[in-house]
Amino acid sequence: MKKRIAAAILLALILGATLVVWLSPYNYAFQDRDAIMAPSTPQHWTGTDELGRDRTVRVAAALLIGLTGATAAAVITITIAASFGLLAAYSPSPVAAILMFLSDVFLSLPWLFLLMMARSLLPLTASPLQTAVTTFLVLAAFGWPACARAIYRGAAEFRSAEWMIQGHACGLKTRQLVRLHIVPHLRPLLLPQFLICVPAFIVAEANLGALGLGVGEPMPSWGAMLLELENSALLARSQWVYLPIALLVVVLLILESFTTEIDY
Amino acid sequence: MPRQLRSSLVFACLMALFAIAASGQAAPRRPGELAWAIHYDPKTFDPAKVDEQASELVRYLTGGVLLRINRQTQEPEPQLAESYQVTPQGTLIVFKLRSGLRFSDGTPLTSADVAWSLRRVLAPATQAVVAEEFLSPSEVVVETPDALTVRIRLAKPVTGVGKIFDEIAIEPADRPSEGRVTSGPFTVTDYKRGQYVRLSRNPNYWRRDSSGARLPYATGVRLDILNNREQEISLFLRGEYDLIDSLSPDYFAIVAQKAPQSVHDLGASLNTEQLWFNQFPAAPLPEFEKAWFQNRNFRTAVSMAIHRSDLARIAYNGHATPAFGFISPANKLWYNNDLKYPHESVADANRMLAASGFHRNGNQLYDATGHPVQFSILTNSGNAARQKMAAMIQQDLEAMGMQVTIVDLDFPALIERLLHKQDYEACLLGLSNVEPDPNEMMNLWLSSSPNHQWNPSEKTPATSWEAEIDKQMQLQASTASQQVRKLAVDRVQQIVADQQPFIYLVYPNALQAISPQLQGVKAAILSPGPVWNIDFISRKEGAR
Repeated sequence: MKKRIAAAILLALILGATLVVWLSPYNYAFQDRDAIMAPSTPQHWTGTDELGRDRTVRVAAALLIGLTGATAAAVITITIAASFGLLAAYSPSPVAAILMFLSDVFLSLPWLFLLMMARSLLPLTASPLQTAVTTFLVLAAFGWPACARAIYRGAAEFRSAEWMIQGHACGLKTRQLVRLHIVPHLRPLLLPQFLICVPAFIVAEANLGALGLGVGEPMPSWGAMLLELENSALLARSQWVYLPIALLVVVLLILESFTTEIDY
Repeated sequence: MPRQLRSSLVFACLMALFAIAASGQAAPRRPGELAWAIHYDPKTFDPAKVDEQASELVRYLTGGVLLRINRQTQEPEPQLAESYQVTPQGTLIVFKLRSGLRFSDGTPLTSADVAWSLRRVLAPATQAVVAEEFLSPSEVVVETPDALTVRIRLAKPVTGVGKIFDEIAIEPADRPSEGRVTSGPFTVTDYKRGQYVRLSRNPNYWRRDSSGARLPYATGVRLDILNNREQEISLFLRGEYDLIDSLSPDYFAIVAQKAPQSVHDLGASLNTEQLWFNQFPAAPLPEFEKAWFQNRNFRTAVSMAIHRSDLARIAYNGHATPAFGFISPANKLWYNNDLKYPHESVADANRMLAASGFHRNGNQLYDATGHPVQFSILTNSGNAARQKMAAMIQQDLEAMGMQVTIVDLDFPALIERLLHKQDYEACLLGLSNVEPDPNEMMNLWLSSSPNHQWNPSEKTPATSWEAEIDKQMQLQASTASQQVRKLAVDRVQQIVADQQPFIYLVYPNALQAISPQLQGVKAAILSPGPVWNIDFISRKEGAR
């Protein structure tokens, strides 16, 4: 029941954000230089930011970009992790040991620095959209090892399962076994991993953005908007500065509720 | 609740309270003592080896000097020297010392001490920064014909005599004491690394006020070492600190809200914020981009399209002044009042671009060879004002069809691209000018300099106007005539305004907070800002 309510709220947020971005007369990049840090008005429902950009449109766009990017990155991460985990689980044990060792090495690397390095390798002329895509691709590329280990553990247990032995006895090929039996059996494992990855990537993007390495200006992102909270003078000028962090917390709580109430 | 858990909680609460209390505490103030914060430990107390701001401040407060630059008039004023003379050729300087001078320990100060201090500064082993100002320090001869006269013979005439001797503290001969024995207003009496530097009044300081009372008025100065602006502001508002120099616009707003009578916007500072394009011929950029950046019309059009007043109003909350040249109007001695610079006009900028073969197709500008005009602007992350300016310039240039991307890099990565790889298209950064004399900017303007940022380390000047800048800067550095120097520097300012190698954006204003409990403060933008006349500053009677 709670899950349904959470899903309804999330859907409403996405729908609302889409409508705001689509119907608003303001572009998220437009600077109204005569309305800097404007308060809530009929034109700007939640006021404007320090460059006179409509905060409602920017927060809505950031929500859509964050959710879309994090979801896509989570799909990529889970695909890589599942492929890696399955390959290790059904390989001879020395090969599996090497693959898992590689995964552990990857896991122990200082990922934040790697993310920063990878992000800084982007060509300087990369457009804001390219930076957004790259940021989430980089997150996906660094997020798989923990999932891969969990999937490896789960898949390795299936090797001695009765349905596996039966499948082999029936002459099923590996590809058929994976498609018809292993992946369906792994679904209870893959789904929570996916649902854990989405909020993790949203937070990671916010962290990168707060370091100035996330989505490029003027495209809005949660990270860039959270930077406003560093400025205590700004906090005193408008309570709407808290809107992005409030919305981020709501979205994270909703996503969190999916993982805690998942039906196995 | 179990007793153990309860006592643990009580202990944790006490520790938290202690931590909160400790975090906002300054050392206790002594009667008549002034207090403010510096942001890091001074690297040295040896006045001859000063090379950073914190040490420079301690030297200013403790070191007795022959001449002191008046930070308001920018004119040199005699201090330990009663008078001085420079010969017309500029190769001989004669100082006449005041009689009866003493160091803080009571020993007499004579020409022998002055000669020793000068020779120490000039010696290569000391590595004194100020020695470079003598052009050929090894050839300088210091003579002491009598106890009150010092004669300095120079191989080459030097410029800015007042500024040079403002930086040379006179110490007792053969007894360097790292600020413990001084001829200035204060002496270093206590230093706790990471906590504070405490200075006490020099009982033998030579200076008296008009009524004959001994100076300085303050009994001492405590410089707390604190690299936390929020805490500094909080301590200032509680009356623990007497002043804050160099406030950012955001912090200025916070202080103004709570103590409006304390904040002072002194107008344009000497600092500049500027944008420039990479004109380095071997830069790893496409040839067509280099052609844009080397095109004067392109640079000028960009300059004309930028709304500087918006930058000052929005990025600096109004605490900045639109800039069109490298010398700020605050630098009264050197500012070119007749400077002609490109005016702000998008229509004229478009015409200028069209004259160079650029053309619009929809919302995109193309060059004569059909390449879309797209480039990136680098700036350093963590500087909110620069990031805002970059975003505003992005929109200003979009109106002309230029697609600009903004790249925030951390400082080491930025410097690597700027100085080592030259792998960038445009850059937005600032320059902190502590000294008003343009001689200090030689390394920026000489085409052979590695800091000649738009095209560093040129073997020969790449353009005729760069050759002209070289010529004029060398002329002003080698003549003792102030008039000739001024004309040369005016000419350089005009060339820079015409060619726009740097597109100057704003001069951030000098923002200070000064406690109403202080008296005798004469605010100035030149370093050390509000305390330049420290001799006359004191706390009001009865001030806590």
